[in-house]
Amino acid sequence: MSKLEVQRELEKAHAEPLLPVEKQLIGWSLGIGFTLLVILALFSRFLPGA
Amino acid sequence: MSTATKSLDRLSEGRLVLSEDWLSVAIGLAVFVLALAGLSGTDFLGWVVTTSVWTDPGKALAPISKVYGELGGAGALIVTYLALLAILSAAAAALKAHVARFAIAFSAVFWIAYASWIVGSYAYLAAVTPADLQKFGIGWSLKLTNEGGFIVALLAGIVIANFFPRFAEWLREAIRPELYIKIAIVILGGFLAVTFASKLNLATSLVLRGVAAIVEAYLIYWAVVYFIARKWFGFSREWSAPLASGISICGVAASIATGGAIRARPAVPVLVSSLVVIFAVVEVLILPWLATLFLSHEPLVAAAWIGLAVKTDGAAVAGGGITEALILAKNASEGIRYQPGWILGTTAAVKIFIDVFIGIWAFLLAYIWTNHINVTRDKAKAVEIWQRFPKFIIGFVATFAVGLVLALTSAPATLAKLTPAIGEANTFRVIFFILTFFSIGVLSNFPKLWQDGFGKLAAVYFVSLFGFVIWVGLLISWLFFAGVTPPLAS
Repeated sequence: MSKLEVQRELEKAHAEPLLPVEKQLIGWSLGIGFTLLVILALFSRFLPGA
Repeated sequence: MSTATKSLDRLSEGRLVLSEDWLSVAIGLAVFVLALAGLSGTDFLGWVVTTSVWTDPGKALAPISKVYGELGGAGALIVTYLALLAILSAAAAALKAHVARFAIAFSAVFWIAYASWIVGSYAYLAAVTPADLQKFGIGWSLKLTNEGGFIVALLAGIVIANFFPRFAEWLREAIRPELYIKIAIVILGGFLAVTFASKLNLATSLVLRGVAAIVEAYLIYWAVVYFIARKWFGFSREWSAPLASGISICGVAASIATGGAIRARPAVPVLVSSLVVIFAVVEVLILPWLATLFLSHEPLVAAAWIGLAVKTDGAAVAGGGITEALILAKNASEGIRYQPGWILGTTAAVKIFIDVFIGIWAFLLAYIWTNHINVTRDKAKAVEIWQRFPKFIIGFVATFAVGLVLALTSAPATLAKLTPAIGEANTFRVIFFILTFFSIGVLSNFPKLWQDGFGKLAAVYFVSLFGFVIWVGLLISWLFFAGVTPPLAS
């Protein structure tokens, strides 16, 4: 892929709006991620060395 | 296409990645098994060269074992070079590389990299404590420890990449940081097992805390970086997904796995990977010093932070090594002597935990992409999880398990031989780290990257990494590791 092709690609890249499935992927990832972090943070209080 | 890109291009070929992974397992296990022969009284690897902090160059080098003392430092260095040349040339043949070209290039790589390591062990750079300064008869030192040699090797590589690009291109056949670091990580498993065996409860708790790293990298980092790339910078899905994986998970391997998963054109993750290498170098040059400056009294927070923030296995694990050296040195100068191995071990554990799930995350993305975004007949298959699993982790787990069993069950007489035996293997691990640092440096052709017109890609990387990834990584490392300190050295 040449320099010109890369630049052309990056210029035209804004044409794709976020699909509902992408929004779901981002939303579910963050939701599960923060929930698990809170659970793990609480759990880690009971681990040795804490 | 940059040197980095050309080199990484080979990684995009699935067959080659598999071969390199399995080769690293074979070489790492061979070193480990030969080292363990020391338990039966046979010293196969005692000739490997080791470097001490020096002011008299004649005293810098020595074979690791006194059994091979007659070799002397220079003899040990030559034997080490010849052994590595033979083994890695065989590996190059297995990878279907040009063996003669590899052997010549590797010779240059080895001697420049090891010379950098020797320079890094010069007392004015490496001596740490007042007792060390007195011992060497010097009034000051940069206190980098002898592992500052990693940085010297990295800088040597960067200088070659940016000021001698034709020489860098000539070295290219032997510039294989992924192979070198994977071999090092396989060997590292045994060393960490022996270290962790002394405090098994603490080690178990570190592993459980490492799970938090996975949650962070995959679920939080990935989603935010993907959103930034798509919404703020307007990248297409084909560019955004490999970019998000490269920035948030584990650099080169994750970017290539994701590119394959979403059926992106091979050039996309390869170009993203070249960015990953550049930024990883910048991080390794900055973060260990920041960690030492602000987190020296929270060594494991620093360790986890390096594992979460620095992308690519090579840069992260080697960065953990530098962080350990600097933090242990700083604490030692204040009279606190932590046991070596725990900081590096925590960084490696965090990184390996993240690596383990690359295949599963790539499968999840493949399922979503092939069923909901670019619906094709080429559906995601469960076998892809195994295909994308980083096989060198099998080697790491094997050496860790064997090392742990030996450390926990051996009789005192055997146990007394275990530490020096693992020490011999660990000396090879250090040499592969040196080769990794130098190779990463040689791949870091900064001006050429900008010439290729990657400014916008680099902007996403910069904003995500320095605006989000390293700070959230620090917060979460603090949340899970604050107050947990390595055992004190006895």
